[in-house]
Amino acid sequence: MENGFFGFLESNSIYIVMFIVLVVWLGIFMFVLNTDKRLKAIEKELEKEKSVLKEN
Amino acid sequence: MIWKIILFLLMTFVIIAGIAFPIVPQPSNWYEFPVIPGLEEKAKIIFFHVPTAWLAVIAFLMAMVYGVRYLKNKNLDEDAKSSAALQLGMVFAILATITGSIWAKFTWGAFWHWDPRETSIFILLLIYGSLFALRSAIENEDKRARLSAVYSIIAFLTVPFFIFIMPRIMVGLHPGSANDDTSGPVVDFKMNANMQLVFYLSLIAFTILYWWMWKIRYKSIIINENLVKK
Repeated sequence: MENGFFGFLESNSIYIVMFIVLVVWLGIFMFVLNTDKRLKAIEKELEKEKSVLKEN
Repeated sequence: MIWKIILFLLMTFVIIAGIAFPIVPQPSNWYEFPVIPGLEEKAKIIFFHVPTAWLAVIAFLMAMVYGVRYLKNKNLDEDAKSSAALQLGMVFAILATITGSIWAKFTWGAFWHWDPRETSIFILLLIYGSLFALRSAIENEDKRARLSAVYSIIAFLTVPFFIFIMPRIMVGLHPGSANDDTSGPVVDFKMNANMQLVFYLSLIAFTILYWWMWKIRYKSIIINENLVKK
């Protein structure tokens, strides 16, 4: 089965390109998602600091 | 969160369809594209190259809109939004130029021809590149925001002419030029319905991705400015 799948990819190399691009897209998506999360955490932290400064 | 899942799925579909959907002489299924004489597989660039140019236009439009908003209420957050849009607009304009140039090498024989479409994007890159030089030359943030806003408004007035008008009324090599009587990958309603489906989904996916990147960028600019002020 495995040989069959790799054999298929060897004779239809455009699908290898497709899988590579999908992996690249997954990597970019995860990176942007992670950056977004970190930025939201920083925003929360800054909001907290602001409210503490106002209280004092 | 739902829109992020939609973005992921849409872009995944566009990548699969844009790369792997077969090109056949007579498409009989929704997942088949027609043969475009002279282009064949190279016609698939339309799913990835045109959205980058589209995003450059959207970004420059947003830079102008937030420039106008800054001039109205003098809020520096509006300048951060305009600046983030400008940066992304430049990135996508450069990407459109590079992807188009690679395609041109294998379709027209050379990376650069000074075709009206190539010339117009080159001039746009110069116009918006000057804006970055202008911004970096001014230290006072209010003055920088004001001048940048005015410049982005004036600069955007040239965008419709350079993107939508000039390359269509002049004779050139690019699909959609005045002398183009072939069935090249032109963005109009004559395009094959299967290609249209993937193309419009691609535009939607790229636009959502742009909006997400823009949000992250402008928020990071605002945070950075606040930290510098401290």
